[in-house]
Amino acid sequence: MGTLLAVAASPSVQRLSTSSIAGTLLTLSAVVMLVAAFGCLGSKLFSRYVVYYAVQSVALAFAAGVVAYNFGSAQIWALAFITLAIKGIAIPLATRRLLIQRLDLRRDVALSTGLSTSLIIGALLTGFAFLVIEPQDLPKGVVASSAVPLGTALVLLGGLAMVVRRHTVAQLIGWLITENGVFLGGITLVSSFPLIVEAGIFLDLVAATLIMIVFVSGITRRLAEATASRLRELRG
Amino acid sequence: MIALALLVVLFPLLGALAVGARCRARGAGVATALGGAGCFASAIALAVRTGDIGHYQAWSGFLYVDPLATYFAIVVSLVVLLAGVASVAYLRAEEERAELSGFQVRLYFVFFAIFASGMLSVFLTGNLGVLWILVELSTLASVVLVGLEAKARSLEAAWKYVIISSFGVTIALVATLFLFYSASGLHLSSDQRLTWAYLFAHGHSLVPASMRLAFLLAVVGYGTKVGLAPMHTWLPDAHSEAPSPVSAMLSAGLLNTGMYAIIRFEALARVALGPAYPSTVLLFFGFLTVFIGVMFLVRGGNYKRLFAYSSIEHMGIISVALGFGGTLGTYGALLQVLNHAIGKAVLFLSSGHLVLGYRTRESARVRGVLSALPLAGGAVLLASLAVAGTPPFGVFLSEFTIVRAGFASSAVAGPVLAGLLVLLLVIGFVSLVFTSVSMVSGEGPPKGSVVPYPGRAWPVVAAVPLVGGLAILALLGLWVPGGLNDLILHSVRAVL
Repeated sequence: MGTLLAVAASPSVQRLSTSSIAGTLLTLSAVVMLVAAFGCLGSKLFSRYVVYYAVQSVALAFAAGVVAYNFGSAQIWALAFITLAIKGIAIPLATRRLLIQRLDLRRDVALSTGLSTSLIIGALLTGFAFLVIEPQDLPKGVVASSAVPLGTALVLLGGLAMVVRRHTVAQLIGWLITENGVFLGGITLVSSFPLIVEAGIFLDLVAATLIMIVFVSGITRRLAEATASRLRELRG
Repeated sequence: MIALALLVVLFPLLGALAVGARCRARGAGVATALGGAGCFASAIALAVRTGDIGHYQAWSGFLYVDPLATYFAIVVSLVVLLAGVASVAYLRAEEERAELSGFQVRLYFVFFAIFASGMLSVFLTGNLGVLWILVELSTLASVVLVGLEAKARSLEAAWKYVIISSFGVTIALVATLFLFYSASGLHLSSDQRLTWAYLFAHGHSLVPASMRLAFLLAVVGYGTKVGLAPMHTWLPDAHSEAPSPVSAMLSAGLLNTGMYAIIRFEALARVALGPAYPSTVLLFFGFLTVFIGVMFLVRGGNYKRLFAYSSIEHMGIISVALGFGGTLGTYGALLQVLNHAIGKAVLFLSSGHLVLGYRTRESARVRGVLSALPLAGGAVLLASLAVAGTPPFGVFLSEFTIVRAGFASSAVAGPVLAGLLVLLLVIGFVSLVFTSVSMVSGEGPPKGSVVPYPGRAWPVVAAVPLVGGLAILALLGLWVPGGLNDLILHSVRAVL
């Protein structure tokens, strides 16, 4: 299987090897993203969530920039700048202005597990991601081999944040972390994704975030405290 | 050809245009209904034109029309037409009672238009990345409709819906990435590596390891949209809290768009991996879904939730049918898509009469519908009999085909699974029909106290989709028209 996949990898991907500077930078930014996700999981302040998310998105944009520089691809450069503008700046600003400040959110108390428990579960999930993404399933000698398990770990950590945090804002951030994980995997695994599709994905992301912001404000006004745990009318 | 395809997508936007022209519920509603009719007509024209040439592709695969696409477009545009007509009366009644503000009514018609247009465009693209974008777009439009009433319950349902299905659809994006990756050995441009027709033609050269992962993730991701267990939890909430015409669109339209994506991925997986793997995955999720749907049907309670669980059951049946595979299984699945869509549209639209008339969603507090609202009562009774699979309605025919496919299938333990399916279907039948019968029969409230639609003209408008839908359903049970039969057979051939 390994040989098949190695053959399958396009030659342009193989130019990026783990030992190169670009490879190191990519892995480094993926690790920064992982640390930011753990920062979110270990924090109780709403304003922190947004800061960690912004840091993570900037690291993602940097990773995209590294790939773009390495392949000299204008398309990936465009992607890196869109990532920086939308995920690194626009969404964190909008969440801060429209949710955290306007609704005066400070401390998140709607946690279903303790902080240390969720950090331990997060660490286990990260280990799990490295276990299931078998190195032989990935093309040999490609930098992606370290970034893909990290991307998978981010997807799982975002899902974890959505499960253990019951506040709607925390769930929104959890989903955004998952989305970042998918993007990290996407950039490193398939850097040549068609630009029009990427643009559409960003459009959906922005629309989804806006709609979620509207609903979070609506729910918060209705319930005074927008914890999804209070949302218990619909069952079964 | 391109013009026809564009018409299918653009006609539903008439309603939004009417809102732009400052129309109120009546004007925007009439425009929406007209748009639905135009859209249905152009979908049929598109199917006829495609029938002559096999399939059509333009804009390097971003536009791709084959029989399967036109078939789904016809089903969903019919639902859009029925729900559009019902929307006029429903929104008019809500506006009259001041349940919804003028702003909410305008919001409804704009997002109804985007939702309908988004769903239909899903079928007309050959690029699986664009398909993902459009599925997510139509989901987002429908979220606004679910939360439209802005009560605590509907906001809760909308939040649950948006967060669960966004997560699910993100998984489907990962599936698309893996699919793209599995085609990296082929000498295709990056657009072509996402174009279904190219991938289908080169299916044997897709990398099996990542294709296997891509298919599984696609079933989980798009399965969240379809309502496959255990990702179904948003579905009963969203269906019961949405305005009834929207429930009809969700159940009979949106679930089918997810199913369409799964069918496309299944076709690729079957070519790349052989039939055993996709069949096993679909049978597993399908049976789990039928089981969960039937178990909650037994519980009763809120009748709109009940109908939603019946949708879950039917989506399970369709995946089981796809899992049985072969011409017979796929034929049964596609026929079931059509029959379920019409039956469930009628059922949810008649539940709109009950919600407006009785002001409750609890089935225990609804009695004597046949005497209080003869037409809605009759529609609820007939449509639940039809959806549960009573002859002579169409669902019986398609479920019969699916069970036959099970007995004939090469899948492991096909006959045993077919027997199990029959057992679950019987339990589902009894519980759904039991609740409906107890709602329509019995001592009703005094005549004249239950008035779902004000005035004289609106009850007639509201009755049109119910009568029309039931007529089509009865017709399909007795006779599948030759043209439709050919279309389904061509669709089956397009993915086998």
